Amino acid sequence: MKYAGIIGIVAGCTLLAGSAFAVHAEVKSSAERLKTGIAESVKPAVAIANDAEAPYCTPKFKEVLARVIHACGLEGGAARRGCQPADVKTLASISDDDFNALFTPLKERGGVVMYDDGSEKLDDDGKKMLEELWVERKGARYFFIVARASKTGTPDFNRSLSHKRANSAFFHIGDKFKEPDLDKQVGLLWLGNEFAQLGKEYCEWNVSRKGKPCAAEAINRSAFVSWVDCQL
Amino acid sequence: MSGAPRRWPSALALVASLIGLVFGGLSTLDYSKHLDRQVHDIHCSFVPGLSSGGAGESACRAAMYSPYSALFRDRYWGGIPISLFAVGAFAFFAAYALYLLLAGPRAPRRAAQFFGAVSLTPLLVSALMFAISALKLGQYCKTCVGIYISSVLLAIAGVVILLDARKGGAAPAADKPEGGAEGGGGGRPVGSLWFVPAWLAALGIFTITPTLLYLSALPSYASYITGCGKLAKPTEPNNALLKHTPAGAKQQATLFVDPLCPTCKAFHKRLEADGIFERLDTTLVLFPLDNECNWMLDRPLHPGACLVSKAVLCGENRAVDVLEWAYENQDRLLEGAKSPAGLPTVRAAIREKWANLDACIDSKDTKLRLDKMLRYIVDNKLQVSTPQLFLGDTRLCDEDSDIGLAYSIRKLAPDLRLP
Repeated sequence: MKYAGIIGIVAGCTLLAGSAFAVHAEVKSSAERLKTGIAESVKPAVAIANDAEAPYCTPKFKEVLARVIHACGLEGGAARRGCQPADVKTLASISDDDFNALFTPLKERGGVVMYDDGSEKLDDDGKKMLEELWVERKGARYFFIVARASKTGTPDFNRSLSHKRANSAFFHIGDKFKEPDLDKQVGLLWLGNEFAQLGKEYCEWNVSRKGKPCAAEAINRSAFVSWVDCQL
Repeated sequence: MSGAPRRWPSALALVASLIGLVFGGLSTLDYSKHLDRQVHDIHCSFVPGLSSGGAGESACRAAMYSPYSALFRDRYWGGIPISLFAVGAFAFFAAYALYLLLAGPRAPRRAAQFFGAVSLTPLLVSALMFAISALKLGQYCKTCVGIYISSVLLAIAGVVILLDARKGGAAPAADKPEGGAEGGGGGRPVGSLWFVPAWLAALGIFTITPTLLYLSALPSYASYITGCGKLAKPTEPNNALLKHTPAGAKQQATLFVDPLCPTCKAFHKRLEADGIFERLDTTLVLFPLDNECNWMLDRPLHPGACLVSKAVLCGENRAVDVLEWAYENQDRLLEGAKSPAGLPTVRAAIREKWANLDACIDSKDTKLRLDKMLRYIVDNKLQVSTPQLFLGDTRLCDEDSDIGLAYSIRKLAPDLRLP
C-alpha cells in the first residue's frame, strides 16, 4: 500500500496519545481523590488503645474514683500522697455502706491483706497476695490500697495505724517491683476506724489469711488491695 | 514459495502488540488508581479488563506492591511503573507492525530487520520480570503473564519477519516499488541506514512519552506522609521494650507488631526485601491482637498471639529470630491455636524450636513486661492495629506502606539511603 508509512505513523501517534492520555487522566483523577479525600470518608474507624473498662465502672464509682485520684495525689503532680478518713468522707460524699458497696464488684479482682492486731507488718501470705495481685494488672491504670483498723483503740491511733498499713503495702510493691512511676499508679486511702468499716461477710472474700479465724475485728485490721479497670 | 515477505508475521506482531498494549495499559491504570493512597480492586485476569478475586488478585497485588514493579520509587511516590514503558513500546510496535502489514514487500528490508531486532526487547524484559516473579515473588500475576505471552508472540513474529528480510526475495511485480531500491537486487528495497537511528529515536519517544505525562500529573505527597500521628511518649520508663540494633543501623524506629498478624509478616518481609530493616535501630513493641492478654479486644483476632509474643520477649537478644520464626510458621501456629487442642499446640510448637524459653514464658516477669508494652501503647494512644512503624517519632501512614514505602521512608528518614 502506498500510504502505509503515513497510516503507520498516524496509528502510532493515535495509540500513543490515547494510552498516554488515559494514564494521565487516571493519575489526575487519583490526585483529585487524594486532595478531596473522598475515599477517606469510607475508611473504617479504628479503635484507640485505652485502659480496660470493666462493667463495674458505674458512673458513681468512677465519680468517686476520679475525686480520689485527683485529691489523693495520683494526678496533677500534687505533693501529698494518699487520703485520710476525713478526706474520703468529704470526697466520696456517700455513706459507709455505699462506699463499701462500690468496691463489691472487685471481690474477685482484689484481695484483703490482713495484719496482726496493732501492727502494720506484712506477713508472708500478705506479701504473696500483694505480689500476685500486682502482676495481674492487665489493662488497669490504678491500683488501690484501702487500709483500715479495727474498732479497738482511739481514732487517732487507728488513723495512724491504717496509714502505716497502707504504706507498708505500698513500700512492699515498690521494693519488689521497682517501678519508677509507682506514685502515679497506686492510690492510698487509710480509713482508720472512722469510716466504711467492713462487716464479717468480707471474711468470705479473697483474704490473705485463709483458713484462719476471721471476725469483724480481724477483717478490719487489713488493707483491701485491687487494680481498678476503669477508664477515667 | 516466492521470496516475498509473508504477511502473517506482521499480522501476528500487530495482534501481539495490541494485546501487550491492552495488558500494559490496564496494569498501568491499576497502578495509577492507587496513587490516591487508597485500596482498590485491580484487573487481574487473562481476559483483558476483567477483575478477579482470590489467589489471582493476590498475585497481582503482590507484584504491584513488590519493589520490582516500578522504578525511582524513592524519588516519586509509587515510582514509575514498569508497565508504563510497556505501553509506549507496544504502541510503537503495533504501529510499526501495521506499517509492515500494509506495506508488504514495499517495506524496506532494513525496516523489517530493525523491527525483527527490536521486537526481541519486550521478550528480554519479560524474561527478566518472569524470573523475578518465579524467584523473588513465587507467584505470577495474570496481567503480567498476558504481557509475557504477547512479548513471546511479538518476538516470534519479529524473528520470522527478520528471516524473511534476510532471504530478501524479489517483490511480486504488482507490489514492486517505483524508483528501485538502494542496494539494488531488483527485489525488495533495502532502505537507507539513516532510518535506523530515526526509528530508534521514535521508539525512545514512544517509550518515554507516557512516563513524562505520568510524572507531570503526579500530585505532591509531602503534606500527607507526615500526617498520621506522632509517638507522644517515646520513652518507656520500665525498660520493657525490645531493642534490635544491627551494625548498619542508621535510623531510630519503633515498630509495633503482632507475631501472628499476616500483615505484619508481609510488612516485615517487605522491609527486609527493600534492605530497610537492617538499617533501622529498632525498638520492637509487641502488640498481640489477642484478648488473652490484650484488654483492648473483646475477642481474639489472632489467637495464640499473646503466647507467641511472650516467646519473642523471652528471646531477648534473639527476639527478632523468634519473631521471624513465628512469621515463617504463622499459618501453622494460628491453625494450632484455633484447633480444639488450642494453646497447648502453639506451646508445643514453640517448645520444639525454642526449648530454652519455656520457663521464661511462664514467668511473672514476662507477663508484667508484656503488660508494660501494652501500657506503653495506651500511653501513646495508638490505634489498635498492627503493624505500625514510627521513624523517629513520626508514624509511617498505612497508606504509604505499600507502593509509597520507598518514597515515604526517604522523606521521613533521609539518612536511611536505601540501596
